[in-house]
Amino acid sequence: MIKDITIGQYFPFNSVIHRLDPRTKLLFTVVFIIMVFVSNNFISLFFNLLLSAVVIGLSKIPLKTVIKGLKPILLVVIITSVLQIAYVKTGIVLVDFWKIQITSGGILTAIFMAIRISLLIVMSTMLTYTTSPTSLTNGLDKTFAPFKKIGIDFHTVTMIMTIALRFIPTLIEEVDKIMSAQKSRGASFEQGNIMKRAKALIPLFIPLLFNSIRRAYELANAMTCRCYNGGQGKTTMNALKFAKRDYMSLLVMAFLIAGVVVLNIFCGEYNAEFTFNLAI
Amino acid sequence: MSIIEFKNVTFRYDSDDEGVVLAPAVKDFSLTINEGEFMAILGHNGSGKSTLAKLANGLLLPEKGDVIVSGMNTKNEDDDIKIKQTVGVVFQNPDNQIVATIVEEDVAFGPENLGVEPSEIRRRVDDSLKIVGMYKYKNHEPHKLSGGQKQRVAIAGIIAMEPRCIILDEPTAMLDPEGRRDVMNAIKRLNRELGITVVYITHYMEEACEADRIVVMDDSRLLMDGTPKEVFADTEKIRSIGLDVPQTCQLAKMLKSDGINLKNDLLSIDELVENIDDLLKGQ
Repeated sequence: MIKDITIGQYFPFNSVIHRLDPRTKLLFTVVFIIMVFVSNNFISLFFNLLLSAVVIGLSKIPLKTVIKGLKPILLVVIITSVLQIAYVKTGIVLVDFWKIQITSGGILTAIFMAIRISLLIVMSTMLTYTTSPTSLTNGLDKTFAPFKKIGIDFHTVTMIMTIALRFIPTLIEEVDKIMSAQKSRGASFEQGNIMKRAKALIPLFIPLLFNSIRRAYELANAMTCRCYNGGQGKTTMNALKFAKRDYMSLLVMAFLIAGVVVLNIFCGEYNAEFTFNLAI
Repeated sequence: MSIIEFKNVTFRYDSDDEGVVLAPAVKDFSLTINEGEFMAILGHNGSGKSTLAKLANGLLLPEKGDVIVSGMNTKNEDDDIKIKQTVGVVFQNPDNQIVATIVEEDVAFGPENLGVEPSEIRRRVDDSLKIVGMYKYKNHEPHKLSGGQKQRVAIAGIIAMEPRCIILDEPTAMLDPEGRRDVMNAIKRLNRELGITVVYITHYMEEACEADRIVVMDDSRLLMDGTPKEVFADTEKIRSIGLDVPQTCQLAKMLKSDGINLKNDLLSIDELVENIDDLLKGQ
């Protein structure tokens, strides 16, 4: 179960998307999120879906992996969809049973929201799938470097991020180990009511916390030994440089934004009845 | 020429409980480590050998006495970076030394902190990975490597800073035999091919035999200092502080106590076999 966590994972393939400057990818992710939120009809949303499909295709990351990354938020998607079905009362009434009333508008809105949330998650995970954490933090470092003048040292934040990402797999392994150790001594994590299960987690978290603090101390020593002094006068091996493909992507991005805006205006606001009739 | 000099060093850790004063971890310790040497430091758990590693590059500062790294006193804060660049330390747990999520980016961490030019960092990273035999893994994620491979990456990360001395604090304690052998081979190459001074802290006798010089610590003090043959010849003394002697030494000792006239300084299996062979021929 723990092994399913894919957040922050990186797949070192050799693709156009991987080679893009992290700043380009960061900007693109932000632009994409805005585009998804701005989209107010199915056609615009489909345009975004198509776009993410192109990105996934170019990145050479297997579709299966991308879909697996959606698993942890499945519950959020389901709850949102159910709420939409329950509250949106437009269009044709399809089911009217006791207090429950399902309308075509409700179902379509639910689908709309589900696609919207999934797209957001897919594209944000694509950022970490295709960008190594170090290059991602380098990108953030560079982007936020001007803030140092007003007293906000972003380098510390990015360093914390890098280390957190670096230690996610290590800690997952450790949780597995502690769990097996506790299980072999008769602990059970999957039985009993919620209170019992929560209690069973205490002997899991305490050694984990304790070990993490010890790790932090050792890592600090190791970093000091490697002349880390808070990023002063630091250089980077793979210095960030905008290449032709980055300028190209910026251009493409501009056109995509324009595309969504045009589609929004052209197709008008999302209208359940209209779309439903269209579907039939 | 000396690279690290301990001059009457005493060090004690702070106690967690207020008012309690701990016994010193290192007591009135003097030692000179020469440039180009391969030295092993042997000692029981808690004998103070790990503390030595941290004192040698200024991670810890002595309470009394001085530690001099190629002319610089570790107490002088201005030389701090220079000292850490001169003397690199590799610790026991490779997992807790790797900072980045890609092997080559981790190796680059040291030189990046030192402000080395990007093209020069690239060269150093490639060279360091090649010398420890991890070049083909340069784009891998560290957590997918074996313990021995991770430890070799950690060593490469130190070499990339181009230190003149590397201190390894039980680098093989958490590894399987194969990983241990790979790490040991990498360390020997550093010493022989790059001429880097190696200080190897261990409690494996077989590994200590590879060194030119062995220092034995007991109860926070220096107990013995000499070549492996000299040190292991004194089986009783080694045994008395709870350490084992290499199996060959042990066998030679037992044969001798049975009246077989073997030499005193046998260390390798080949030497022992040869000596026994000579004796048999002589009969």
